[in-house]
Amino acid sequence: MLPSTESDGIAEAAQRLWNARRSNLPCAPVRTLLDAGDVGAAYEVQEVNTRRALSEGRRLVGRKIGLTSPAVQQQLGVDQPDFGVLFGDMAVGDAEEIDLTRLIDPRIEVEVAFVLETGLADAWTTTADVMRATAYVVTAIEVVDSRIAAWDIDIVDTVADNASSGLFFLGGTPRRLDGLDLRESGAVLLAGGEPLSVGAGAACLGHPVNAVTWLARRLATTDHPLAAGDVVLSGALGPMVRVAPGTVYEARVSGLGSVRAVCAKGNHS
Amino acid sequence: MSGLTPEERLAARLDEAARRGEVTSQPSQAAPLSVADAYAVQELAIARRLDRGERLVGVKMGFTSRQKMAQMGVDEVIWGRLTSAMLVPEGDRIAPDHYIHPRIEPELAFLIGRDIPPGAPPETITSAVTAVAPALEIIDSRYADFRFTLADVVADNASAAGFVLGAWRAVPPSLDCLGVLLEVDGRTAEVGATASILGDPWRSLAAAARLTGRAGMPLRAGWVVLAGGATAAVPLRPGAQVRAVIESLGSASVTVAANSARP
Repeated sequence: MLPSTESDGIAEAAQRLWNARRSNLPCAPVRTLLDAGDVGAAYEVQEVNTRRALSEGRRLVGRKIGLTSPAVQQQLGVDQPDFGVLFGDMAVGDAEEIDLTRLIDPRIEVEVAFVLETGLADAWTTTADVMRATAYVVTAIEVVDSRIAAWDIDIVDTVADNASSGLFFLGGTPRRLDGLDLRESGAVLLAGGEPLSVGAGAACLGHPVNAVTWLARRLATTDHPLAAGDVVLSGALGPMVRVAPGTVYEARVSGLGSVRAVCAKGNHS
Repeated sequence: MSGLTPEERLAARLDEAARRGEVTSQPSQAAPLSVADAYAVQELAIARRLDRGERLVGVKMGFTSRQKMAQMGVDEVIWGRLTSAMLVPEGDRIAPDHYIHPRIEPELAFLIGRDIPPGAPPETITSAVTAVAPALEIIDSRYADFRFTLADVVADNASAAGFVLGAWRAVPPSLDCLGVLLEVDGRTAEVGATASILGDPWRSLAAAARLTGRAGMPLRAGWVVLAGGATAAVPLRPGAQVRAVIESLGSASVTVAANSARP
């Protein structure tokens, strides 16, 4: 049953997701608390928790873009990407070890990360603006996670749950966009030398710059447009893969170098 | 057909099916067939093509992705023979009539510059390659619905039906993470990278040398080795324009004629 008012539903969904993240225990889907398919309300849930995180002193360092492949959009019955907020405590360096017990049910993806030299605050931001504003790009690994039990999500659940964000690893070899053809750049996620996930830049809305442009436009009308220094994870280049404890993952994007995610051994269930 | 061995009879049946563009039943449905015998059938079926004046121009590798291996329950790649009649000139318009249910996939092709004899040391194999090119492979199983056992598909020449080669390029320093796009009518249909080919296409070439060497066959100077699909294959429909793009290597394309003579 829906809560008596829309704002009650938003508050309840936000609290449920907040508790799940805090306790590291998954929760029931929040879509039942909101109108079916109400993505606007889902972003309001996300915003409630973003403000709460900022008020606790967490630092907003950028955004992640999700649902950038036609296959994943189809799965969730949408025709648009989504976004979530990246906080400083989610950033991990190349080859650093992470404790998977900080996460609930992590999956891993290879992406291109953009780091902005200048902000992008115009509702009609162009790809030219994005290319001009980009300080550099690096290979990134995104570890996504869902606070919703067993990833039983629809579009409302994942948007409310900060676009199922978890942690992100940034590579250490920044490259200017000059001379790169990110559309054709091959991408691979390896473990033990075996490719687990393979793709190319074209898998991300045709070109990763297209995804960042979508995000800049989408955020232009909000309280937090893209700002100088922001990191933008532009979207998965290949299918996401379940994370296994004790595994070292390596992601490579042609022309951008590589990055490693080291997952600690342990009894992650 | 009396006086023919069972292998010769199977070879004749598969060759006829390929020639007419008609399905035939899987050999394994009638009697058990070993993979070794299946390669013998393949060789006999290709010998019939050579008798008709076709030339051997290379080999193709199959099941080079982990997914396909898992799907088939095998842990070894397979190979088939490429003949001159299978080569479709780059940019050509092909008639869909002589295929059954063709599918097309982007591949990376190696050009062998000097003979690689059976048992050649691995370190000599890489240096025998003089160029690489983007390629398209048309696969067309002679079995209904592409349903087959490992031996069935080996006997059917690994579903080989045609291939298109882009311009040859100098061998780049590494081949293991090149982006691959399959475009149909100008739209991106599949996206992948060369890492899908056994993690690195060079491993596919090594497997080609090892497996053909085991069969006593050298890889000849001037031959082409198709290393395996870099994305899933898509159905090849009449009227389609198909293009394979490999990062920094260029593209290979083919057009299918719109009108089929077949009803």
